[in-house]
Order: sequence, then structure tokens, then C-alpha cells
Amino acid sequence: MLLRTDAADRAVSPTGPPEPRVPAGPSPRRRPPRVLLGLSVVVAALAALPLVWLVVRVVDADPERVLALLARDRTVVLAVNSGLLVACVAGGCLVLGLLTATLLARVRLPRPGLWWVLAALPLAVPSYLLAFAVLAVRPDARGLVPLVVVLVLACTPYVTLPAAAALRAADTGPEDAARTLGRGPVGAFCRVTLPQALPAALAGTLLAALYTLSDFGAPALLRYESFTWAVQAAYEGTIDRTGAAVTAMVLAVLTLLLVLAERVARRRWTRARATTAVQRAGPVRLGPAGTALAVTGLGSVAAITLLGPPAALVGRIVAAGGVDVDWLRLLAAARSTLLLAGGAALLAVLMALPVGVLAARYRSRTVAAVESTAYLGQGLPGVVVGLSLVFFSLTAVPWLYQTAPVLVFAYAVLFLPKALGATRSAVERVPVEAEEVSRTLGRSASATWWTVTVRQAWPGVAAGGLLVMVTAMKELPATLMLRPTGVDTLATQLWAQTSMGSYGAAAPAALALLLLACVPAALLVRAGTERPGETRGS
Amino acid sequence: MTRSTRRSALAGAFLAVSLTLAACGGGAADSAAEPAPAEEGTGTLTLYSGRDEELVGPLLEQFQQESGITVDTRYGSTTEMAAQLAEEGDATPAQVFLSQDAGALGALSGAGAFSTLPDDVTGAVPAEYTSTDGSWVGLTGRARVVAYNTSVDEAEVPADVKEFTDPAWRGRFGIAPTNASFQAFVTAMRVTDGDDAARQWLTDLNANDPQIFPRNGAILDAVDAGTVDAGLINHYYYVAAETTPPNTAMKFGAPGTASALVNVTGVGILSGAAESPEALQLVQFLVSPTAQEYFATETGEYPLIEGVTGPEGVPALAELQAPQIDLSDLDDLDATTQMMTEVGML
Amino acid sequence: MSLHVRGIVAGYGGVPVLHGVDLEAGPGELVSVLGASGSGKTTLLRVVAGLHRPDAGAVHLAGEDVTGVAPERRRVGLVPQEGALFSHLDVAGNVGFGLLPAGLARLRVDRAARSGARERVRELLELVGLTGKADRMPHQLSGGERRRVALARALAPRPSVVLLDEPFSALDAGLREQVRGDAVAALRAAGSTAVLITHDRREALSVSDRVAVLHDGRLEQTAGPRELYARPATARVAAFVGDAALLPGQAAGGRVTTALGSAAIAGAPASSRGRDGTAEVVAVLRPEGLRIAGPAGRGAPAVVEHVEFLGDAVLVTARPEQDTGNGPVVRIRTGADGQWRPGDRCRVHADGPVHVVPRT
Repeated sequence: MLLRTDAADRAVSPTGPPEPRVPAGPSPRRRPPRVLLGLSVVVAALAALPLVWLVVRVVDADPERVLALLARDRTVVLAVNSGLLVACVAGGCLVLGLLTATLLARVRLPRPGLWWVLAALPLAVPSYLLAFAVLAVRPDARGLVPLVVVLVLACTPYVTLPAAAALRAADTGPEDAARTLGRGPVGAFCRVTLPQALPAALAGTLLAALYTLSDFGAPALLRYESFTWAVQAAYEGTIDRTGAAVTAMVLAVLTLLLVLAERVARRRWTRARATTAVQRAGPVRLGPAGTALAVTGLGSVAAITLLGPPAALVGRIVAAGGVDVDWLRLLAAARSTLLLAGGAALLAVLMALPVGVLAARYRSRTVAAVESTAYLGQGLPGVVVGLSLVFFSLTAVPWLYQTAPVLVFAYAVLFLPKALGATRSAVERVPVEAEEVSRTLGRSASATWWTVTVRQAWPGVAAGGLLVMVTAMKELPATLMLRPTGVDTLATQLWAQTSMGSYGAAAPAALALLLLACVPAALLVRAGTERPGETRGS
Repeated sequence: MTRSTRRSALAGAFLAVSLTLAACGGGAADSAAEPAPAEEGTGTLTLYSGRDEELVGPLLEQFQQESGITVDTRYGSTTEMAAQLAEEGDATPAQVFLSQDAGALGALSGAGAFSTLPDDVTGAVPAEYTSTDGSWVGLTGRARVVAYNTSVDEAEVPADVKEFTDPAWRGRFGIAPTNASFQAFVTAMRVTDGDDAARQWLTDLNANDPQIFPRNGAILDAVDAGTVDAGLINHYYYVAAETTPPNTAMKFGAPGTASALVNVTGVGILSGAAESPEALQLVQFLVSPTAQEYFATETGEYPLIEGVTGPEGVPALAELQAPQIDLSDLDDLDATTQMMTEVGML
Repeated sequence: MSLHVRGIVAGYGGVPVLHGVDLEAGPGELVSVLGASGSGKTTLLRVVAGLHRPDAGAVHLAGEDVTGVAPERRRVGLVPQEGALFSHLDVAGNVGFGLLPAGLARLRVDRAARSGARERVRELLELVGLTGKADRMPHQLSGGERRRVALARALAPRPSVVLLDEPFSALDAGLREQVRGDAVAALRAAGSTAVLITHDRREALSVSDRVAVLHDGRLEQTAGPRELYARPATARVAAFVGDAALLPGQAAGGRVTTALGSAAIAGAPASSRGRDGTAEVVAVLRPEGLRIAGPAGRGAPAVVEHVEFLGDAVLVTARPEQDTGNGPVVRIRTGADGQWRPGDRCRVHADGPVHVVPRT
């Protein structure tokens, strides 16, 4: 069960280029092949396209107007609102995530595998569905508090999984030492072992914060004026879209600042680690009462997150006296959802492959720059990428305007970091020595690449693709802006219906989305958790 | 094969299948976006609808069945669609624009986005409810109302929207500033009271902690649930709601004030589609008795052609005593949204 | 098949790691390259394998210059540190990896070649003692088994030379010796020419035909294990291949004078003579070449500082008494019955001729 360690790593997307590690191969200064570097540069340029285009658009606008828009009070109000929201959600996720992670990693629970899956599954639940569930129970819910609850529930897996993995892998030797130096069991754990999981938890918290900052559906439903909602409002509500573009740019800048801040923080934290010999403690028995308490806690969080939305939806159906389900439309929407998300996964993986390999195998400033640029999508909310690509496709590629490829491209840019992280770590896990042995056994570089590297890395790469797929299925703001006319995804269909107030009619699409998203999410958790660490032997 | 490798193989297989589907499906989604080659006697039409799908979807469905024309509809807010059309210019894939509001139609008409409709279409509707130059035609009339929770005393509910700046209403009322109907109301106030007064009112209103909703439907829900005591909506949201809101009542605007403004929903054919028979067919359908009756009975809107009975349960159109405002004067939507942006409402 | 490496200069990003290294391995010979970490031994191995392009020098395999040849065309077998098995292939798949081509070319392989490959895999599994484990996956194998598979995989295509990159270093001590013994037996049985990279002097001395000692990218000495131990070329080699006291001394007329007194010089006289016919040298005194006696015995007076009981012997650390105060200590291996205690006065002398190396 120790293997769950890297499981969780993979179940959750990575958070940016990891810190430079010990080079994977014995010759770190090899030069990357030109083709690989060239492809990677192209990918990085594509990933940067939305942001660049947004800047172009803003620069193009009347500067006085842009300045006036920037200077108005509302910018400050929105920044404060969003900042407050992010701080609350990040704090909540960190606490709840560390708590859950501790229970998962250090406490003996009945059916341990089940809890891991339950802890990861909220990844498949769109936050707007949770918000909707809250509204179904408390129609007058609005503002910061319910929104924080919703987002904490939706985002905690981002913290739980990497933190639990880190706790599993953590060296408990110092904890034993702390016990002998007079600390109690809880104190020793909190002071000594927990900090080892902190970098991973912080990285997860960043993901939660980024999600919060870029979330559109839940703040809109719970009517909290965040930046993302404001961009969407400006997009929907004004004739001149300069306002939307300026607001989007401010949002992008804020988000990138957040990414930067986390990187600085993580660098500081990571420096503190210094052990090579690792000792791992077995799970603790809590006794019947403690176990019951732990199980109740984990169970109720999982139940609220996973069962709340379906229950609320079914409740609405019952309240509406049953609904006529337009099966054809539902199927069409499910099909579009699957196709668009699948296309996004494919494209994201294709884009991630060259960059992932480059980053896993070579080190240089150029490589680092290319990789960081490819991670840009992580700091760009869907609403920003959507808006920018509306501008871009209209001006530069009008024949692609409002077609599926642009939407798929938007997904790919947004979720490239997830595929990239998975690809990179999967390739890193393939020992360079195995490639070298293959060369000495008579296989050329390209044959080795396909028969050894890809063959060994692909489960990890595929897991990255699945992650992109789950996320793309739930995506709302970019989909709303970019989808082809007449094409509905499950997300947009239910959004259209909920914003009309016909929650009952929205229920089937919502349930379908939940079910559909749960399949790859569950596969992801299993694919991640059950893979033994076969490549790193002894 | 071990259990674990089988698992990862399973995950991979799922992805692979989805991707294969996607590879075929990318094309499918594409063809949905672009007009497919017309079969005999049928065609396709791209419609931008600023009206919600719940309201016009069934009617469009009926049109598709009767005419055999496939209508690909892009739903969004009226202002969003107008902005999109403005941005797209001649490149727009849309042929017809269905608007919730005369202002957006006027704005686009002023930019020359529409082709001129034939007289038999524009003539079907009274002149005061349609464009002066025949660039668009009004479809239905709608009133702005204050929807209020029945727990509030009716006398307390202001009939003039301007009174919501009263501190007594602080935080108790809902608006949807992105909604074209709200914006049209602001435009109307600019016309009747002047820009400065309108700006002052917006500033005061915004300072009185209005509850912001994305759409009218959400306001109605919130009013019925008691989240807010009152909200500004179009009357037909109440009439067309999935289940009639049990705790909500409507108050129509005081006669003669901007609050009593009767605005129209309307439709125009974009200039690129001037020659499109399908586009014309849709517009003709929308002003036909069938469609007008649909609006009157299903969505509670005021039909505009003669001989169709108005909706039940609401005052007749003539009784509303709308202020004397020419709907074509509401076309300065850009200035209105800029004003709303400046005061921080958008 | 033989390996000739001449004047290899190689490095990373302009920083040289190897400064002109020569290495030779005759047919069927097992040559060890012994060096501390950072000495460049892995780089040397990678140059031989074709995985690293040298800046100068040449590699000849079986008489052919392969310096610019890609690794897949060199016919070298590589056994990396931890085996680096292909985790997606079972044992048979790993061993047979180099026997059949990859990709489309595989479709053109005829039945005879396939069965030949199968037979070869079987043969090698037998050679390394893994018959019956052909369908195991790498993660189901023990560390020792993984090394055996890696060796079988390298041997399968009958390479000109097998390169082993510290393959046993990560194993536990007991297991290490067993796996090493089996592996060397397999190499000998296959008649392979082999180069073993190691930092373990016992490993190098015990299994090799010849040992090349590498330091800082330069070869210090290449010799048979016995010669290397008995007659190291430099003080550094002397210390590296075994425990030794290195006492500075003056050589003159076939004798060397150190803190332990005068003794005959073994073998060829040392160079670097002084003007007056004497040379500054370092005497290499192995513990087993020294004798310890009571204060009345023969040799230089010394004081016992430390006594280590080894089971079959006792290792006594003693400090010769010198006019100049504290000199270097020497270690003497003596019988297990020796009753020495710290502080005891004693006398120490070299038993037989002493090997000297030039003082640097």
C-alpha cells in the first residue's frame, strides 16, 4: 500500500515545473535534439498565445479608457473580494486536506483503499453543482460563507492527495527522535512529520487557490462578485469588450502572481529537507471510538460532496413533479462533452509529450523557460483564455471562429500543465539506463524511444490525459464563449437551465455529467494507486 | 499480466476509446458549426438568440419541424450577442438575431448590421413597436415589473423603480445589470431624465447594496425564496416559470414613468443573409399568428399582431400607460453600458 | 574479441573528466576499472559503449575502430548499476530484447530466427540460474535476480565486450558476493571479454584478470591484482588497493631507511635519486608485512596505541618512537594470541624486502 504514494501524485495535477532535481541521466549537459526543442518551443508559443493576444487587444484599445477602467474602485473591490475568497478557500483546503491526509496516511482505517478513492472523487464534481446543491437546500444562500464551503469541498482533493502521498513517503525517524526528546505523539507528528508534507500540501493549496480564482460557476450561482464573474459580466453585459479584456488581464496578472508567490514559498520550504535514509511508520490504531470518529468525519465530507449534488438534483426533479427528459438532446450533449473533452485530452497529451520529455531529460535555461511557458495555462482562468481566443479566432483565423478546434485548443492550453506534469514524471520514471541498454542491444534512438521510453511511460501519460478529460468535461466559461453554435455540452446545457431557474430540467444533464466525469476520475485514482513502483527497483 | 498492469491498461483503453471517438467527433462538432450542404427543400440557419432557450426553444423546435429548416441557435445574453455581432462584423456566421430588447436591435441597426425587412413583415406590427427603417421587427411586448415576495406589504413596494435608492430597501432588492432589459431601462431613463440624472440614480442604486443576479430568472427564484424582497424583471418570467412561484407577486410600473416602459423583443436579418430565404421564413414565422399565440399563451408576452389575444392574468398592453418614448431612441446601448461600467455596476 | 582504448579525452560541457586514458582487454579477459566516485570511470564506460562521444582518442573493438559508431552498432553489452530492466517486459522479454529487431522489421523475422531467439533466451536463463522464472515481471524479482537478468540480457546477443557499471554495489554484503561470484562464473562460461567498473577494491582484486586504477581522469596503474597489491606504482594506488602505512624514507644502495629503521628494497630500485646517490621515497608497509615483538625484540621501538581483535588475527596500531616527537603510525597484523594492550612498549620491523614508491 506504500505504492499509493506516487498514486496521488499522479491523481492530482502538478503545480508547475518542479524544482531542478538531480539530473536523471549521468550526462546532464547533453544538448536536446533540435526537433524536440523546436516542437517544445512551438508548444510553449501556443500556450502563451491567449495571454499574448489579450495583451495585444488591451494595448490596441484606447489607452485612456483602459486606464479609466483600471483605476475605478470596482477593480479594488473585485481584487479584495477575490483575495478574501482565495485566502479563505486556501486556508480551508489546507486544514481539511492535511487532516484528511493524516487520517489516510497514518491511521488504520477499515477498507483503506475506499477512502483514497472517496478522497479523490470530488475532483469529478464541478463546483457549480455543489453550489447548486447548497441552493437547493438553502435557497437564500449567497456570498462568501457558502461559497467558501462549496469551494473547500470541491478543492480539498488537490491538497489531500499530494499531502497524503508525501506523508506516506515521509521519514518518521525524526518523529521517533522527537518522541524520545519528550514530545507527545500528536506533538511529534505535527512538529516533525507534518512539515515534511508541507511542500506537497502547499503545491496542492496553490491548485485549490488557482481553481478558486478561476472558478466562474459557483461564484455566479452564489452571487459573490469575484473577478471571474466580473469578466463574464462585462463580456455578457457590455457592447464594447475592452472592459472585459482589461478585467481579464488584471485577473491573469493576479493569478500569475499567485503562482509566482507559491513557487518562492515552495523553494524556501523544500530547502529544509535533509534526509536520505527513510524510515516509515505503520498506520496507527485509534481504537474503536477514534476509528468511528475518523470514519464518520471522512464519510460525511465524502457524502456531502459526492451525494449532495445528486440528492439535491433528484429532489428538484421530485419537486417539479418529474421532468420530461429530452433524451436525444441529453445524448447529443453527452456526446459533445465526451468528444470535446477527449479531443482536449488528445491534444494536451500531444502538446505535453515533447515538452515533458525535454524537461525530464535535459536541463538548461532554455529548457526551463520553455517548460515554464507551457505551464502558463495554469495561471490563466478559463474566462481569460475563452475571451482571448474569441478575439484571436475572429481576427486571425476567422474560418476557425466558433468551431470545435478552437474550443479544444482552449482546453488544451488551460489543462496542458496537468498533462505536462504527468508526462514529465512518467518519463522521469523511465531510467535513462534502460534507454542506454536498449541502444547497446541494437535499437536505434527512435526505436528505443518507442519501444522502451513510450512503452514504459504511457500509463502515466494516459493518466495525464484522463485528468485533462475530467477537467475539460466540467469546464464552463471558455465553453460558453467558444463552443460552436448549436453545440451544447452537458455543462453548458445545465448552466443554461439553471440560470433560467429551471433546476428540475437541469437535473438530468447534471446527473449525466457527474456520472460521466466519475468514470475517468475513478479510473485515474485506480490507475494511479494500483501501479507498483516497478521501475525503481531494489 | 498482473492486476496492476491490467488496471493501467484499462485506464489507457478508456482514454484511447474516447480519443478515437474524439478524433471522429471533432469533425462532427465542426459540421454542426458550419452550415451543412442544403438538402432539397431544406436548409440551415444560424440564429443568435439573446433570449433564453427556455422561452424560445420550443417555438424554434416547432419552426424546424414545420419548415424542415435546421436552426443552429447560439444562446447568450442579448447584449453579449449584440457585442459579438458587432465584433464579428461581416464575418458573422449568424443570419438572424433575436433580441430581448429594442436597444440592442437599434444599436446594431445603427451600425448597419441588418438588411431591410419586407413590408409585409414590418407592417404586421404597429409602428410604435417596430423599427422606423424596417431593419428589425418587434415580436412581442413586455413590461418591466417589480417582482416581490408576498411577505412584503404591497403598499410598501415602490411602483417607480427609482425609489429603490431609498435606504429602506438597502440590500433587499435584486437586479441583473448584464441583462439587456435592465440596460434598456437605464437607457430609457437617460432619454427621459437625461444622462446626469441617470448616472446619479445608478450611483445611488449601486450604493444601496443591490443584490446582483446573472439573469432575470435567478432574481425571480430569489424573490420567491425570500432571499431578496423584490427584484426587477420582465413580466413574462413570472408567467413562464416552470412552476408558478407561490410566494411572489408582480407590481407593474407607475403609469407614465420609465418604470412602466414597454419594451419589445424583436428580430432582424443580418445584412450578410439579406438574400437568405430561410432567414426570411423564420422571421415570417415569428410574426405569424402561430408564433404570436405561442408567446401569448406559453411565455405570457404581449403579442403585437392584430387578432391574437393577449396573455391572461396580466393587465392589457394598453392599460400599462407606457411613457412616451420612441423605442428607436434606446439604441445607445454602448453609452449605457459604459455608464454602468463607470459606476462599477459592470 | 578484444578491446583497445587509446588516449580518451572526454568531458561534459568543456570540462574534461578523462585526460587521455588507455585501456586494453584481451579476448575473454575480465578487466576492472577501479576508482573512487568522480574519478571518471563511468564516463570511460560510456565512451566505450558509445553513449558518450570523446573529445579525443579512439575505441577499437575486435580490431575495428568504432569511435564514431552509434551504440546500437557496436555490439557491446551493458549491465547498468541497478540492472535497469525494462519494467514493461517479463524476464524472457528482457533477455530476448536484443535478439530480435524492433518495429516493422520484426514482422520480417522468420520462424527459425524466432525459435533461435527463444532457445538463446532459455540458454542464458540457465546460465544465470533463472530457469523457470522466464515469465516473471521485473518488480517480482529480488535485487540479485534483477542483476542476473540484466547480465543475461547483455550477454544474449553475444557482444564483443560486456560492460558492467558497478552492478553489485547496491546489494547487501552477503548477497553481493554470491551474485558477483555467479555473474563472473557466467561471464567466464560465456567466454566474454568484460570490463567491470567498481569502487570496491576487494571486488576488483578478487575477480579480475587485470585492474586499472583510475584517479582524477588519469590511469595510475594497470596490472594484475597481485602485482597491483604487492607493487603499486604510486602511493595513491598503494593506499587505494589495501591498508598500508606509507612511511617517508631515504633510499640508497638497495636499502631504505624509515622510522622503522633500514630494510632491503624489493624489486627494481626506485628512481628520483638525489645528488648524493640517495632518493626520497615512500615505503609501503602492509600490516601483514610487519612484525611486532617485545621491547627486547628486533626492530624500531614503538608504543602500542590501539588493538583491534579481528577473530583470526589482531591488528595492532603502534607509533614508532622518534627524536622528532610524533611520527606516523603503522599497523601490524599479528596472531590472534597476541596479548597487546594500549601503552605497551614494543618493537616493530619489516619482514622481508620493502616496496618503495617515489615521493611526490
